[in-house]
Amino acid sequence: MIYLSKSLTKLIGELKKLPGVGEKTALRLALHLLKSPANGTALAESLREVQNSVRFCSTCYAITEDDPCYICSGSRDATAICVVEEPQDLMAIERSGAFKGRYHVLHGALSPLNGVMPGNLRINQLLERLRGGMVKEVLLATNFSVEGEATALYLTKLIKPLGIKLTRLAYGIPLGSDLEYVDTATVQKAVEGRNIL
Amino acid sequence: MRENRCEAVVLAVLDYGEADKIITFFTREHGKIKCIARNAKNSRRRFGGVLELFARLRLQIVLREGLSRLQGADVVTIFPHIREDLSKIGYAGYACELSDRMLPEAQANVRLYRLLVSYLEQLDSFPCSADDRRFFEVNLLNVTGYRPALEICPNCGAELVSAPLLRYLPTQSGISCGCCRQAGREISPLTVSLLNAALQSGRFGAIRFPGTLLDEAGGILDSIIASHLNRPLHSLSFLQEALLVEGY
Ligand SMILES: [Zn+2]
Ligand SMILES: [Zn+2]
Repeated sequence: MIYLSKSLTKLIGELKKLPGVGEKTALRLALHLLKSPANGTALAESLREVQNSVRFCSTCYAITEDDPCYICSGSRDATAICVVEEPQDLMAIERSGAFKGRYHVLHGALSPLNGVMPGNLRINQLLERLRGGMVKEVLLATNFSVEGEATALYLTKLIKPLGIKLTRLAYGIPLGSDLEYVDTATVQKAVEGRNIL
Repeated sequence: MRENRCEAVVLAVLDYGEADKIITFFTREHGKIKCIARNAKNSRRRFGGVLELFARLRLQIVLREGLSRLQGADVVTIFPHIREDLSKIGYAGYACELSDRMLPEAQANVRLYRLLVSYLEQLDSFPCSADDRRFFEVNLLNVTGYRPALEICPNCGAELVSAPLLRYLPTQSGISCGCCRQAGREISPLTVSLLNAALQSGRFGAIRFPGTLLDEAGGILDSIIASHLNRPLHSLSFLQEALLVEGY
């Protein structure tokens, strides 16, 4: 790449780390921000704000500004917990409006080949919540990929002995799919028709 | 840019950028190749969510040096029963990662392809067992050219299975008769004859290793495999965890 300036090169380098952004796009974005300083300042400020105020809920590990999050601190049914892989899966299920309970975000899925092991996920924190004795149902809403299935099977082994009712999203969800890409109506049907494990 | 049709097993999948995936395929026709699948995360029409670990697929690809391009994929089987069992997922993942690591790129190995597919079929149809894993491993070492001599002692030429005692020394990566070597782990000639039988049978489930012989065969195979890998397999820790939680 042609040398522009030290700080601009650094900005391009940072932009390139974002998912889906290559060399060309990074350069285009950087030049755009440079041409409209107001936008650049606003972006810098909101980045700083996000980093200072957004965190994970210490109960369910959803993205939140207040801890505990509005779902954990509100009047939602505390006897049912829906377990998802990522915050965007929680959003997909919330959009469907079909689940009235609370959530637990694992922040990933077990992966045989990528070395994601139970200790890398928020599994112990989930078990701790369940040992509290309040929870009567756990809905496993991990993806229908090999990794998501493996995670659901693993959690089943750990949760079954606790005598808690376990359910899995109904198989309306296409095989191999990420929840965030599934249409809302399908997610709603899958939550309502969930199967007992 | 000719489109090529072939059959393959998915060895690894990597998310790439916003919506693409890079998939390592073990094709029957061209060996191990890496393909980019553009827009694979959103495009159900083209790939239908089948780009999943250990799925057996029919592919349309444009072959290129380095990174080939995936045009389309139809499923032969996703091995649904493997996906219902944590230990089976563990064994299948291990078989895929081991094949990936032991195979050079773009070199067809039809015997290994058939071996991997048979193992996945076995896992899909029968309860999983450590015997089948060892059967897979010894045959994999055989068809990749890494099998130690199982017939005669490399030092004196004596027939191994009729020797009273055998020894295995990882650093010399070989099994020799007890007369020639004082050092190394003692192993039973029965273990060696079972490994030989596993090579000759060509059918999963035909050979069963009784308890201690299974441990012996396992120890030898593990150490030979480890000596050909520059770092441990992720899938092996996963398999151990899966077997533990399932109470094996
Ligand atoms: Zn919360
Ligand atoms: Zn000898």
